[in-house]
Amino acid sequence: MNTRVWAAALILPFAALAAGPSMAADDPALLKDLTAVIALLGLPCGQVVSARRQGDNDHLAACKDGNRYRVFVNAEGRVVARKQ
Amino acid sequence: MHPVRTIGVLLLVLTASCAGIKAAPPVIVAPTVPPAVAPTADGPSDGTTVAAEPPRSEAKQETGVSMAPPAATRQPPVIGKEAATIEAPAAVPADVPADVPAAHSKIQSDAKAAPPAHTSAKPAAAPIGSEQPSKHEDLAAVAGKAEPPLDMAALKTRLRETRAIGVFTKLALQNQVDDLLKQFRAHYLSGQKTSVAALRQPFDMLILKVLALLQDSDPSLAKTISGSREAIWGILADPVKFNAAS
Repeated sequence: MNTRVWAAALILPFAALAAGPSMAADDPALLKDLTAVIALLGLPCGQVVSARRQGDNDHLAACKDGNRYRVFVNAEGRVVARKQ
Repeated sequence: MHPVRTIGVLLLVLTASCAGIKAAPPVIVAPTVPPAVAPTADGPSDGTTVAAEPPRSEAKQETGVSMAPPAATRQPPVIGKEAATIEAPAAVPADVPADVPAAHSKIQSDAKAAPPAHTSAKPAAAPIGSEQPSKHEDLAAVAGKAEPPLDMAALKTRLRETRAIGVFTKLALQNQVDDLLKQFRAHYLSGQKTSVAALRQPFDMLILKVLALLQDSDPSLAKTISGSREAIWGILADPVKFNAAS
């Protein structure tokens, strides 16, 4: 029993650490893509510095100027950027 | 003693792993998104902006502000050496009245005029006897070069397959292209006798956006699109060609 507790104590923190980075999508190509989309839609942003994937074709983008946008594809197949 | 040692090791490893994550540099590629990509239209009041809201050309005409021509003159989306050719007309005042076709044709004519000027200067140094044949050859070469055949299917394929534009951006651009085509279709279906000159501005804006997105990562495609601009407009502005293409 004692061994299991210690194993859990060892594994859980690492699992939490591994889960953290996977939530944040910091792929430079994605950041560039989101930057371009937000600019294309005429919204102030400057540059997307981080993004978090929320689902399929759904990202939460954080801009350099502090703005945050949810960028997703709506049911009609249009790219939408909604200010958060 | 053993548990204490284990906890110590665990904390050490956790600290090290946290430091590792923090140390990861946020590599951000400098955005190539142009200032020319100006706000297309007012977004909805709830702060949501949908890709490719149909540009309201009437509204833009009322204000008398032309966005495309100044963008074209201030920041030519032309790549590499071509920039020098089209940079020259940039001396045109930025606040020239918004006569899009006129301004655009001026740029085009300037761009086209450059090679003949070059060719006319070249034979000046040549002997008089050999002037005529070389002139003809140069003109023929320039004429053949200036009018490349427009291959829309290949252009579409290249745009779809280029890695210079991300998926979201491609989709947003597709939305905007569809909206522009809808505007042309509506214009032709309405049976208006007026020309489609009013749609030249949104067309130019869209081309500029595409060029701005491509010029750094896929300059050859950007150059091809830039060179095909008039041919594409020729198809859009002609109802017969437009219907055949769509």
